[in-house]
Amino acid sequence: MYDVVIIGAGPAGLSAAIACRESNLHVLVIDEFPKPGGRLLGQLHQEPTGEWWNGIEETKILMDKATTLNTEIKCGISAHHIEKTDHGYSVHTNEGVFESENLLIATGAAETAVPIPGWTLPGVMSIGAAQVMTNVHRVRVGNKGVVVGVNVLSAAIARELQLAGVELHSMALPASNPVTKNHANPRKVMEGLVRIAHLAPSAFIRFGSKFAKAEWVRNIAVSFYPKGGVKMWGMPIHIRKAIVQINGTEKVESVTMCDITADGEIVKGSEKIIEVDFVCIAGGLYPLAELASVIGCPFQYVEELGGHVPVHNEQMETPLEGLFVAGNITGIESAKVARAQGTLAGLSIVKQKLRDHKDINAKIQQAVANVQAVRDAASIQFHPGIDEGRKKIESAFEEYKIS
Amino acid sequence: MTNNRITDHPVLGKLENQTPVKFTFDGTTYTGFEGDTIASALLANGIRQLRVHEETGAPRAIYCNIGHCFECRVTVDDTDGVRACMTTIRENMKVDSGKLQAVPFKSKPEEWPRTYAEFEKSSKKDGVPHV
Amino acid sequence: MDKLIICRCEEVSLEDIENTANKYSCSARELKLRTRAGMGYCGGRTCRPAVDAVLEEVTGEKPGNDIPLKVQPPVRPVSLSVLGGKKR
Repeated sequence: MYDVVIIGAGPAGLSAAIACRESNLHVLVIDEFPKPGGRLLGQLHQEPTGEWWNGIEETKILMDKATTLNTEIKCGISAHHIEKTDHGYSVHTNEGVFESENLLIATGAAETAVPIPGWTLPGVMSIGAAQVMTNVHRVRVGNKGVVVGVNVLSAAIARELQLAGVELHSMALPASNPVTKNHANPRKVMEGLVRIAHLAPSAFIRFGSKFAKAEWVRNIAVSFYPKGGVKMWGMPIHIRKAIVQINGTEKVESVTMCDITADGEIVKGSEKIIEVDFVCIAGGLYPLAELASVIGCPFQYVEELGGHVPVHNEQMETPLEGLFVAGNITGIESAKVARAQGTLAGLSIVKQKLRDHKDINAKIQQAVANVQAVRDAASIQFHPGIDEGRKKIESAFEEYKIS
Repeated sequence: MTNNRITDHPVLGKLENQTPVKFTFDGTTYTGFEGDTIASALLANGIRQLRVHEETGAPRAIYCNIGHCFECRVTVDDTDGVRACMTTIRENMKVDSGKLQAVPFKSKPEEWPRTYAEFEKSSKKDGVPHV
Repeated sequence: MDKLIICRCEEVSLEDIENTANKYSCSARELKLRTRAGMGYCGGRTCRPAVDAVLEEVTGEKPGNDIPLKVQPPVRPVSLSVLGGKKR
């Protein structure tokens, strides 16, 4: 019987494990990937300060701490079901059943698919797949590719591919269909671009992005968007071009690119065939909460957080006794926020287990403040309404407690 | 075998002192590095396609690379449904691609055999009885 | 143009989903049972948001607080020998 089983060895799960081990709790961390670190492992970008955020190094720091504290971490284990029992939770995995008093679900996020014709061909992959292949496995995903979907995540990973010497033709939008909707709308995409422009190496673009906070400026920018795209790190980003089809028989051979209007409609006769051997699809992230769902945790749909999120409070507790959540399952944010949330969740679990543990309330208050401070300082923000989204989910928790 | 390897990286540094691991894919022997997943070792060797869709035969490869989509499932040492993106290679591991399978219940009524002779003919393509 | 596949596991196209949703004014669950979208090997992890988006487009309804396509255990494919207690 464990005091806590933590599902997910990413930044949230590992930080929580560290906090729990510091109070000597009996902890087990499981993860289905062969290495610990979760999606943090693949991350590699330059902060506005010029410093590199290297996910492999950041994971090593967390793992060193966890190892010093003798934390039990098992990788390559998949949880397929969780049952609530009288004394806690039973976690069913391919390596047997683990019993625990408390449970932390830190399963992160999954990528939202952006289907376009031909996307099942070998050579088409999610942008996150390319990130892991490049930075974790050190394997080139192809010789020349195109990124479909322009957003915070895809711009960051496109840069990572370039760093590794992988040639990208350009980034463009997906063709509009009932699923791609906002991803295919130049005006919506422009709103998102403005939020990442401060990361651009060019002072000119950073300067422009300040003006583009106003809607009328953005509308002009969309209407007069340059034909050749706007270059970021030498690679054209097109928001007035869309990939309408991926071509090939056994694997990706080319894509068909079209001009689109400011509202995302295809300009007839503008088709161009571009030879590529891989395509990365980027539709953003949504919280991966299936395990919380099978236990019966209540959910709330909060657009600002990326979709359906398990109801939880500021201390990372859910309405189910002994069930905690941390990281991207609670809303799409950066790894730094996930890490801070993990520490907080760990402290909340310590409190749950040891009750009147010394100074625990003060530590929790400090951790809550730290999550907010990290969020406020984040250089990459996935949704501008993140604070509003957080308020929504916390008030859902209060309502749930009352009823 | 290192043709798709990123051996030199401006931030992550050089890829050095890797331990080679031999495994087979559909009977051919390949070499990957210790710590490679089946998917990364095969892609490093230039192999993308891991299976075909069981019903339509459409070629498939990795899609999500983190265990969510199951598009990369292969047969490992005679256990099927193993995710190539989540499974580390071991020395002498036997990996086989996912194959086309019989779909006896997917045909349309107008395609069903009306006589025993028609049934025999349709169920014994290539002289081998099909399920 | 090729047909646009939404559910990769079961190769269900956008056209199949739209036609079924229009013809039967489906709930998410009914749509899944009729077309098999989301019922394949991955358990709907890849196409669930896409199927929800198509349904939203057809019915005009915003997503509610309950997850439209109920998540059922096991959330990963498991062999019977593992369920029977054999480890891996």
